[in-house]
Parts: sequence; structure tokens; C-alpha cells
Amino acid sequence: MVFLTLPLWIRNRGPDRFWKVQDLLKHARHFRGRKNRCYSLAVRAVRRAFVYATKSRKLKKRNMRTLWITRIAAATREHGMTYPALMHNLTKSSVQLNRRVISDLAITEPRTFQSLAKVAKARQQEGFRAALGDGKEPAGVLSRIVMLQ
Amino acid sequence: MSSFSRSAQQWATFARSWFLIDARMQPPGKIASMCSVRLQGKHKPIYHALSDCGDHVVVINSRQIAFSGNKWEQKVYSSHTGYPGGFKQVTAAQLHHKDPKAIVKLAVYGMLPRNLHRRTMMQRLHIFSDDALPDDIRANLTEELQQPRAIPRKLSEYTPEEVEAFPRLWTPPEDYKMK
Repeated sequence: MVFLTLPLWIRNRGPDRFWKVQDLLKHARHFRGRKNRCYSLAVRAVRRAFVYATKSRKLKKRNMRTLWITRIAAATREHGMTYPALMHNLTKSSVQLNRRVISDLAITEPRTFQSLAKVAKARQQEGFRAALGDGKEPAGVLSRIVMLQ
Repeated sequence: MSSFSRSAQQWATFARSWFLIDARMQPPGKIASMCSVRLQGKHKPIYHALSDCGDHVVVINSRQIAFSGNKWEQKVYSSHTGYPGGFKQVTAAQLHHKDPKAIVKLAVYGMLPRNLHRRTMMQRLHIFSDDALPDDIRANLTEELQQPRAIPRKLSEYTPEEVEAFPRLWTPPEDYKMK
């Protein structure tokens, strides 16, 4: 006999159908009701759970992005701006931080986030000035009009 | 990465603050949207739907809310008692006469997410029909929110000089009879 691993050696004993059932039930042990012990009920539930898990791997990315956006929006409103205005003006100022990093900054480094909001605000005012025809440089501003694309 | 480290943990991150909103002459929907954001905790950068980070909101003067248009007569609040023929419909004016807190309460309730936390969040909403607050609630208040709508002044509150100085489209002739 060949012993590759200890679990395989244990699996060597007993009928094969028993081990087939165990292999499936190990994914169903945390389910509610008889699904977690009856094979014929568990087999459907496990298949459904795997389908959900596969779909959720994509949904997770979407949901996390929604959460970051909610958090950034909350932090932005503390500084008197809105989320779309902040993101638009940060992009215009060539700040290439993604939403995960910005929401992390908003939670753990509020002062850094405040300075980002200030940059966006200054860029917004600059845009307003340019659009309204005055076109003068505001005092003490580091941003400049960047032509993207 | 700050996502994973616990370096920036601070005391009282999840402390609840108490907001005060004066509903005098304010549209109930605007009051309710301000309330629902704060009850859910969506005004905090640490927001998460499961972390129960909502705050308390105290609404005063709910008797003095102001609907625009003809909503007092036309807006209908429907309910069903569950018995045959138990479909009730009352207008906003009737409901407000019966319970001056109900309109704000229903508006906030409708703006909260439909999940098991909704009743919990509603328990953190305290509505008072006038501006008298119990002492235990008054002691908790941390911040007063700005009213969403500027209260328009009545004609009786303008001084005669201001009325005279107000720009006019048309000057009535001497013999014009006012209705």
C-alpha cells in the first residue's frame, strides 16, 4: 500500500459511499436545519451555496466600491463639498488615488483627507473663475489646470 | 496599509452624538432626509451597515411643520387594519390634527432601509410636538443642525420702512379700490 498522506490513509478504510457523503457534508455543516446532516437535502443546498459564492466574488467588488463611496461622501460633507465635486476635481488635479485609499485616509488620517478636500475645493474655484471669464490665478493655490485626455 | 493596521484606533469612535433639529416652518421630507442620514450613521466616514453607528436625533416643534402646495388637503396617508373593510385613508391635515408627531415619524420611517435595523434606528429618533424637552434628553444634546429652509418673514414682521422700500411692479392709481 502507498500512504501519500495521513488523511488519505484514513480514507482508505470504510465504504467509498460514506466518504463521498462526508466530502459533501463538510461544506454543509454550518447550514440550518436538516440540510447540515441529510445528504439528499444537503447536496442541493451545497450546490446552490457554491453558485452564490461564485456570483458573490464579483458582487463583492461592487459592494466594496459602494461602501467606499458612501464613506467618502460622508467625509466630504464634513468639509462642505459633495462627493461628485470632490472626485471630479481630484481627477482634474491629477490626484491618482483610488476610492479605497481615499476612504482609508478619511477614516485613519482625517487631516490628510482635509488637505485633499482643500485641493479639490481650490480646483473647483479655479474652474469657476475660468468659466466665468475672469481667469485670474487665485492666491496661494498649488493646483493648476491640467488637460487630461 | 491602513485598512489592516489598528494603529489609528481612537477612543469614542463609536460614541453616539445627539442632534437637535428645529422643524418650525420646515418641509417634513427635508427634515426626514436629514434625520435618516444621521440615524443610519451615513454622515460618518466609518459607516458600515452592520456596525450600528447611527446617532440620536431630536426633532422639536413638529407641530409647526410646513407642507408646500396643497399637500395638507391632497396628501393621503393610507393604512389597513387587516379586517374586511378596514382600509383607512386620512389626509395630512387630519393626521396632523390627530397626532402632530405622526407626519415626521412616517416620513423618516419611509426613508430608512427596509431591514431589521429599521425599528432600532427609529427608537433613536425623538420627536416632540413643541419646543419643551425633558431634562434627560436636553442634557445629552451635542449639536444643533441648521434648518434646511430659511423661514420666510410674514408681512406683519416687516417694518413700514422696509415695506415702503420694497420694489414694486406697479403703483396703484389714487382711486384704485383694494379688495
